[in-house]
Amino acid sequence: LNPSDLIDQTKGWDLPIPAELIFALKTVGFTLHAVPMNLWYAGIIAAMLLAARRCEHARRFSARLMRQMPVIIALGINFGIVPLLFVQVGFAPVFYPATILMAWPWLLIIALLLPAYYGVYIYSYSLAAHGDRLPWFPRLAGWAAAILFPAIGFIFANAMSLLQNPTGWDKLYLAHNYHGAMLGTALNTGDPRLWPRWLMMFGIALTTTAAWTLFDAGWFARRESEAYHAWVRGLAWKLYLLGMAWFAATGSWYVFGTWPAETKEAMFKMPWLPLTVATAVAPGAVWVPLLFVARGSGVVTRGIATAIGLLQFGVVLVNAVSRQVVQQLEIAPAYDILKQPVNAQWVPLAIFAAVAVAAIAVIVWMVRQVAASHG
Amino acid sequence: MHFPWWYVPYATAPMLIATISIVHMLVAHYAVGGGLFLAVEASYAYRTQNSDYLAYLKRHAKFFVLLTVVFGAVTGVGIWWTIGLASPLATRVLLNTFVFAWATEWVFFLVEIISAFVFYYYWDRLTPAVHSTVLWIYAISGYASLVIISAITAFMLDPGEWLKEPTFWRAIANPQALPQILARTGGALMLTSLYVYLHSAITVCDEASHSLIEKRSSRPALLGAILIAAGGALWYVMLPDSAKSALIAAAVLNVIMAVLFGATAVVFVLLYLGPYRNPGWISSPGFAASLMLFGFAGFSASEFIREAVRKPYIVYNHVLGNQVRLVPDEVAIMREEGLLNASPWPRSYVKANYPQCVRDGRIDEDALGRLAPVERRRVGGVIFQYHCNDCHALDTGYSPIGPLIQGWSEEMIRDVVLNLHKHRFEMPPFCGTRQEADLLTEYLHDTRPKRPTGMDTGGGKGP
Repeated sequence: LNPSDLIDQTKGWDLPIPAELIFALKTVGFTLHAVPMNLWYAGIIAAMLLAARRCEHARRFSARLMRQMPVIIALGINFGIVPLLFVQVGFAPVFYPATILMAWPWLLIIALLLPAYYGVYIYSYSLAAHGDRLPWFPRLAGWAAAILFPAIGFIFANAMSLLQNPTGWDKLYLAHNYHGAMLGTALNTGDPRLWPRWLMMFGIALTTTAAWTLFDAGWFARRESEAYHAWVRGLAWKLYLLGMAWFAATGSWYVFGTWPAETKEAMFKMPWLPLTVATAVAPGAVWVPLLFVARGSGVVTRGIATAIGLLQFGVVLVNAVSRQVVQQLEIAPAYDILKQPVNAQWVPLAIFAAVAVAAIAVIVWMVRQVAASHG
Repeated sequence: MHFPWWYVPYATAPMLIATISIVHMLVAHYAVGGGLFLAVEASYAYRTQNSDYLAYLKRHAKFFVLLTVVFGAVTGVGIWWTIGLASPLATRVLLNTFVFAWATEWVFFLVEIISAFVFYYYWDRLTPAVHSTVLWIYAISGYASLVIISAITAFMLDPGEWLKEPTFWRAIANPQALPQILARTGGALMLTSLYVYLHSAITVCDEASHSLIEKRSSRPALLGAILIAAGGALWYVMLPDSAKSALIAAAVLNVIMAVLFGATAVVFVLLYLGPYRNPGWISSPGFAASLMLFGFAGFSASEFIREAVRKPYIVYNHVLGNQVRLVPDEVAIMREEGLLNASPWPRSYVKANYPQCVRDGRIDEDALGRLAPVERRRVGGVIFQYHCNDCHALDTGYSPIGPLIQGWSEEMIRDVVLNLHKHRFEMPPFCGTRQEADLLTEYLHDTRPKRPTGMDTGGGKGP
């Protein structure tokens, strides 16, 4: 079957904003989502492992991260709505078939997310009640969350790789249908891009978790001892190195082992070559400063924490931009968003922007009140 | 039929939307009403310096955050998931029309979440003035979310002038927006009082606190009841004629309407007997739970009815229940080209399985007619899935076709298939060619249950 034959080609679906703006909003939204998502993806596993260590600082950091986790997850889910909204607006003809092919696993995300999220709350509340010597049930809840979130990530990786793989739809469709209707039981496990893509995200998640250790120390853990700060400085660069090595290995597998020839050719030529290189080397731009920070002493300053946080945000952003470019390169032969007609809704967009600005002001005010309450 | 259809055995895919939506709504309305409750009551408690009441409100806030921020938010995402899976065409219409309404609603949701964490985690650390302000920020942003989402969902029942002039403003100012905003505001206030009664019945022991909570929460409950009644009446008055008729014609909706009126009446009676006449009763968890359960039953019934009366449309006069658009007139296109040729996924299925029926890249429907009977019925099964399974299971499950045509002859079935919308106004017209109607007829005739034996209907035994 020709993949284009499976994609809705009907007219009358003018985009409500230009495609470039959809890319921009989707990328910014995904980056905002990816930062907290990285923290629950790798951070919960790291926290659970560190909680089992004898080192007091390791347990301290673990407890801090898990107490923060309910807020991190809430923000991550909220920010996840933005890319989900704009991927549907811009890519409906490929997004819906891809997710309907794997409807049951896709829906399973909701069923897994609830126990994972409540598991984090159980663990977090138990920390307040029991300190870091937790009974078996909260520990079990914490480990359940640590396992469920990467499982959710695996399903997401399936959906997003399937979205980029219309050429693989026909086989899955013919193998998973009932009288031509989808059974919704397909997974994209036959696509070689799936596995490195899923694992690569874990590498980035480890680097974000490492950067967070320092960001947290500089901004929220200023009352912790200097010994704790020294331990954090040591942990940050080592954990970052592990994430970077993981990212390098799985990223190389993804790029050199699974990218179609067309994608490879496009990404290693102008205009995308600088982006490819930037994506590959960006983590180094955080790790090198982390090495210098590790040599320092005393409480981590807010300036250092902010710089590391911004640099890591840049790493995630560059990664998100690369994802968008590769996605567009691979989907465009079957469905090219850049060729779709536009009937822009500028006034509603302006209202949205104005509400967003007002909301940021309100949020800043609330954060300042919280900061003031800390004295 | 722009997208693949998802076959969900027994339930049918759209029933998953109904299930998750109802569960979500029971919490989402509390997320809005609870925000108003906490803002009003905390301001009152600060003003009267009632530390016991503030302590109760803090406990309630913990329950509120745990339920709404986790369960409410995740099931809200769940609705996104299911509407995309089970009704992708209408979802696409809604997204293209309301993308920035949804984006704006997301902004309010972000403010809601951050303010919820601030007022909960910093309950005793912020000054009363600041704390009350944060609670009001939550309440206002939560209510703004309700207004936006109500207007969007109301659009499906009647897009109004948007059908003539498809702009964002025509869409958002649809005729059903105000009635549904009123009714949902009332629902949020009423449900919140029921949550408060149950929560306080379980967690509060002293009489004085009970009395205060009861007194304070009965007023919003009564206001909620008035708004529900006003919004509901306006909703009915503004309904399109087809929706009013569907409400009367469908036996199941009659039963659900009875559940709605019955449960609502019970809630009113219990509110009268409890908080109003016998204030002590409400402190019993059993009584409060009964009140809550009847409230849930009434609320769920109203949500179901609101969805069900749209038939044969998903978006009135724009998207039919079987995922066919009316602008452009896809019914005419499918009658001309055939459902199988006009729909990407069934077309590909038939091409892959019956290559002998493909001529010049198109499905030759005459060739389909020459297939062996068992194969013709298989193709008829494909047409059933894409044309009928949106609303009907086959023989068992949600609104199954089988019992509706039990014992029918092939001619009877064919006549109904060809004149679907003429026989039943709440059905879409048949969206295919005469040959496709024959294939569907053969499939339905083959799968229908036989007429029950041993029946004496007069005029001679049996049929």
